[in-house]
Amino acid sequence: MQALRQIGALIRKDLELQFRSKETLVLIFVFSVLVVLIFAFAFGPIFPERAERGKLAASVLWTAFVFAGIIILNRSFVVERSHSALQGIRLTGVDASNLYLSKVASNVVSLFLLEIVITPIALQFLDLFNVVTVGVLLKLLGVLSIGTLGFCAVGVLLAGMSTSTRGGESLLSVILLPVVVPIIIGGAKCTVSLLVTGGVDNWFWLNLLIGCSLVFLASAYLLAGAVIEE
Amino acid sequence: MRLLASQLTKEFGHREIVKNATFSVQPGEVVTIFGPNGAGKTTLIKILATLLKPTSGDLEIEGTDAIADSSDVRGALGVVIHEVLAYLEFTPYENLKFFGQMYGVKQLEDRVTTLLAEVGLQRFTHEPLHIFSRGMTQRFMIARALLHEPSVLLFDEPFSGLDASAKQFVLQRVSEEQQNGKGIVITTHNTELGYLVGTRFFFIIDGELEEVARKDEITAETLLLMYEERLAL
Repeated sequence: MQALRQIGALIRKDLELQFRSKETLVLIFVFSVLVVLIFAFAFGPIFPERAERGKLAASVLWTAFVFAGIIILNRSFVVERSHSALQGIRLTGVDASNLYLSKVASNVVSLFLLEIVITPIALQFLDLFNVVTVGVLLKLLGVLSIGTLGFCAVGVLLAGMSTSTRGGESLLSVILLPVVVPIIIGGAKCTVSLLVTGGVDNWFWLNLLIGCSLVFLASAYLLAGAVIEE
Repeated sequence: MRLLASQLTKEFGHREIVKNATFSVQPGEVVTIFGPNGAGKTTLIKILATLLKPTSGDLEIEGTDAIADSSDVRGALGVVIHEVLAYLEFTPYENLKFFGQMYGVKQLEDRVTTLLAEVGLQRFTHEPLHIFSRGMTQRFMIARALLHEPSVLLFDEPFSGLDASAKQFVLQRVSEEQQNGKGIVITTHNTELGYLVGTRFFFIIDGELEEVARKDEITAETLLLMYEERLAL
């Protein structure tokens, strides 16, 4: 019970910090909207083929979310490192794995909230909003949430390592992106499929997405103790 | 015994920052460690606080191996170091409430309110920490360290940057906690205040810890003379 209370307190604290300063939220929102606009104006304004629009939307969404995710992950550890708040948390005796889980949860919540806001905007700009049903939109958010979980699972671990080094914020992109390639590929393929056909036509990509997310979560959970303690 | 350090050594690269530090702290004892800047005081305190792993040596806190089971002993430690160890965006109340939840403090609301009044921050309960002066921040850090009623207190340079009233507050608070049976370790370069607050004295010079005397065996003047002699060597 104490572990659950600790995880709950850590998640509340993370979200409170993010929503209070609004600094990160505004940054990632503006960044994501810019990505959508740039792609929409570069390839638009007329998109004749639904298949082309679906592929473009998948590219836009995953590009925006991956880079916004890197910003969120970096910021969530910068606030912990400044004034050694993370050491303060370690001194409470909290299990490093619980600290890791809470960071994953709070980052997933932040990124998923962004996805809920940005996805309809992107679909609107890419002329897909009227074509996509509520069911497809929910499936799409489901795929995005699985990808977000896998991305944050490994991202939290690597952000914990990189932000403790000099120039760590730029280092995160370099070490994280190669690792999450299977998630990005699987997620993008599922997104294309959903936006073009309304369903998942090749289960391999969804299985890859789910499998990688779970493997990343499990392995990062096991490694979290060593990373946070060091 | 509250704390037992045996042959603690910490190396960064090829440089030994702390060399074979051995000492113990009994309940109700205040161990003051005097040393100049760069002598290894902060490194030693961070090792005792389990925030740094020693290169070699043993550390027991309340009878538990603090190196192998660091998470288990942290609840027994109250730590004040140079860093705030909290969130400057939050108020003292929010910080103490959060850390109290993490420690599993019972009747947390009452504890936080009482503690903030005790350290003289009740007027600033809902002001964010980033507007606090050094002295106010130090008061908050002491409140944070005492929140979960730890049995061992570790203070790294608790008097630096404080005005006279804030120093008096720290002295008084340490004295109260000593009377409550806590084991206390203080590092400082201020021999006057360190003598006032301590019951047993050590020097740390170039990472080497040397026991000097108990308070009843030495006067403040002699301690100062010895310290200056050791620094001159």
